Amino acid sequence: MTHSAVQFAPLDRETGQEVELAMQRLWLTGRLMPVGARLLVRHIFRSAEPEPLEVIYAFGLPRDAALRRFFISGEGFSVHSELRPVAEAVEAYERGVAGGSLSALAREYADGIVNLTVGNIRPGETVAVELEILAGVELHDGGLRFRFPFTLAPGYHRQARGVELSPGTGEMQLPESEFGDVILPQWKAGANGLHEIGFDLAVSMATSISEIGSPSHPVRVTSEEATQWRVRLATARDLPDRDLILDVKTSGSSAVLAETGESGRITFAAVVPSTQFGRSVDSPRRVVFVLDRSGSMQGAPIEQARRAVEACLGALSDQDRFGIVAFDNQIESLAPGLIPADHDGRERARRFLAGVEARGGTELAAGVATAAAMLAGGTGDLFVVTDGQVFGTEAILETARAAGARLHCLGIGSASQDRFLTLLARQTAGVSRFVTPGEAVDMAALDLFASAGRPVAAGVRCTVEGIVEPAPPKSVFAGTPLLVFGQVEKADGVALHIAWDGGQTTLGLPPCPPRGDFIYLLQGSRLVADLEARGQVQEECLEELSRTYGLASRRMALVAVVKREGDRPGETPATCVVPVGMPRDTAFHVYFSRARVTSRVARQVCLMAPVMEMEIDDRPLFRRAPRRRLPRTADPLIELAQRMEPDGGMPGAGNRDRAAATVLALLCFLAKGHSLSAGPFRLHMVRLVAYLESVASALPKRERSLVKTVLLAARAGKPLPGDWLQLQPSEVWHAIELGAAQGNSISPT
Amino acid sequence: MPSNPGREWSLTELAAEAGMPARTIRFYIARGLLDGPLHAGRGATYGSRHLERLRRISELRNQGLTLAEISVALGIRRQTGLAAPETWWQYRIGEDVMVSLRAGMSPWRVKQITTLLERLVREQREGKETSQDDA
Repeated sequence: MTHSAVQFAPLDRETGQEVELAMQRLWLTGRLMPVGARLLVRHIFRSAEPEPLEVIYAFGLPRDAALRRFFISGEGFSVHSELRPVAEAVEAYERGVAGGSLSALAREYADGIVNLTVGNIRPGETVAVELEILAGVELHDGGLRFRFPFTLAPGYHRQARGVELSPGTGEMQLPESEFGDVILPQWKAGANGLHEIGFDLAVSMATSISEIGSPSHPVRVTSEEATQWRVRLATARDLPDRDLILDVKTSGSSAVLAETGESGRITFAAVVPSTQFGRSVDSPRRVVFVLDRSGSMQGAPIEQARRAVEACLGALSDQDRFGIVAFDNQIESLAPGLIPADHDGRERARRFLAGVEARGGTELAAGVATAAAMLAGGTGDLFVVTDGQVFGTEAILETARAAGARLHCLGIGSASQDRFLTLLARQTAGVSRFVTPGEAVDMAALDLFASAGRPVAAGVRCTVEGIVEPAPPKSVFAGTPLLVFGQVEKADGVALHIAWDGGQTTLGLPPCPPRGDFIYLLQGSRLVADLEARGQVQEECLEELSRTYGLASRRMALVAVVKREGDRPGETPATCVVPVGMPRDTAFHVYFSRARVTSRVARQVCLMAPVMEMEIDDRPLFRRAPRRRLPRTADPLIELAQRMEPDGGMPGAGNRDRAAATVLALLCFLAKGHSLSAGPFRLHMVRLVAYLESVASALPKRERSLVKTVLLAARAGKPLPGDWLQLQPSEVWHAIELGAAQGNSISPT
Repeated sequence: MPSNPGREWSLTELAAEAGMPARTIRFYIARGLLDGPLHAGRGATYGSRHLERLRRISELRNQGLTLAEISVALGIRRQTGLAAPETWWQYRIGEDVMVSLRAGMSPWRVKQITTLLERLVREQREGKETSQDDA
């Protein structure tokens, strides 16, 4: 198959020239640290118009992120932004534009959508805007996941509709009452021909880095020191059609970072792995699975979500109770309330899940409210599986908080609302993970589910001779470290005390923290993100917080006006909105319908559209690439998990057969590196072991002895040699004995 | 009817009068929903017609219409006497060959033509003579 770039671009009818891209390049640099990132995003704008140009670029903030400042530069000038209340900033921007001066405004709207607007770019001029952003990261016990949006995903909103303006170009507006004058980009079904993106990031961790990888982009990684690495895009450029995702693995241990600010105040951030706390208490679970079946989940995500829920059901015992809610515009429930996770309950769940197809909108708030009602005021957890492609998230957060249930979120998507799902989980005392459809989503679901239901520490209290802020979570879940921010007057001899129900620990602060403001700013961006999620009532506090930390928010915007010779007051610049690519794995026509616009309108809009570029091969030019379908069963271990019985054993004709099948399943999990305390199947393994312990005494002597050996191996987390996945249960006893006879070590000691 | 048909405003004044940001007005102009200023270049001004149109757009947006639907609802036509602008797509199918197609064709027609173009590209790459039909 041959590939060659063929461009088809709108032409200026008068001149016959191609309309050039207003934003040509977006390059991400900066530094990833153990508790967050300080990013510099460089946008290159260029005008090919004969008149002054105003360019609007819309993007979504990463999780726990805030804009700090920007620098605007070009030939002979370099100016940095000022932080001002939104109304003042808008007025300054408009005054600058009216005065013919180059002006720039970075303003945040609801849902963390930002409009970066640069007005009065002169004909033929190139202008760079370098935006500094503080952002959080998804912390894991053994490292972190960093996510940066290179495109803004379209989302569902009850009052918004998408329209296909011309083939492969979609447009959507959000209600002014909620989103003000935000301008969204046009979405392109194919991102070829849009602005180029790339990244070059330094990674500095507190402990040595063992690996950096990306499930989203080809990367080139270089190690400068054990704790200092660098990661770059391996190719010259890439397309704006998905988030950048970087996984950094470190040797996990507690870390306390501290910096001394200009005022002499010391800000610290402590990361305490969940393994430092304890083990979860084995109590009956009450859980409701909340499954997003909106149209944007069609294809791989809905299949993965269904399979993930089925596999999670395998981890439940018949003492546990569960429910399932599937939502789009409508809500469907497995049952009005929770049902026992016994054989009948599971069968009903399987039949229910088989009928769940992707369709319709994303009424997440209604889904959460229904699920929370099923807990009937009792304790329990909601386990939400969604792509998070939804606008109007603050109303959803409010519903979730009011529901009083703990939400754990598994986000699936190549460009999604990581920011929103993080807030949703955190504000309801849960945890969240975000994966791409290309990853093992079912494994991620199992891992999250295994850790989410029962915390390893509850009643967490953090104290220090100073301030701990924001308030740390009350519970810690396996796999997710505790993150604590705070400020102290002096660090020497000062310690952070962490106590929880049944335990405590103390961490000393570094005695002489270096000068710096990174941790302080990260603390600020986290506080801003939390407060913004609280909605209208906190608006005054938000402005004060913005001023304190020098960070933009929905109440404070960044503005710069560059007065130059030759400014031409009173001229109206031509406005251009930078288009973005549809996120990979999201079908264009889920959001953008063809029917509503006449060809005349489409033609007029096309005049604004930038160059589109398309690869030509042996396929028709306008056909979308086929969606990647998942094999029905991605992992045999998932299948084993799905088949587990409510008593923790595997199915079979009688006790002896069931014991054989259960031993075999346990050996399969062990062989793949899972153990009773680690890995996505740890809950399943605990239940398999419990089943074998309960039936061992009734087995014949030979089998009883072999079960004992396998249980010892399981407790030690040591696999027995053998190709267990290829065996039938009837062969397992002989295979264990054969291994022993051949001298393989079957003693786990 | 506007209260003062002969009145002219700067963009800032128009924005204040219409109760919407100036940036939004510029966006509507670019989007084809609103004509450009009465006098282009420096000292650009806007008239009561602009204000009327902006109020109408606001009304329609409040009714939940998208901008594309508003454009249709307003029956927008160019009033300059010139023919409506057209967009043409340009296919670069070789180092020295360009083909222009009018945008906005029906999907079946687009498919038909692009299939022909693909054949042309393939045959060109393979160094074959292109038949008259293909051309």
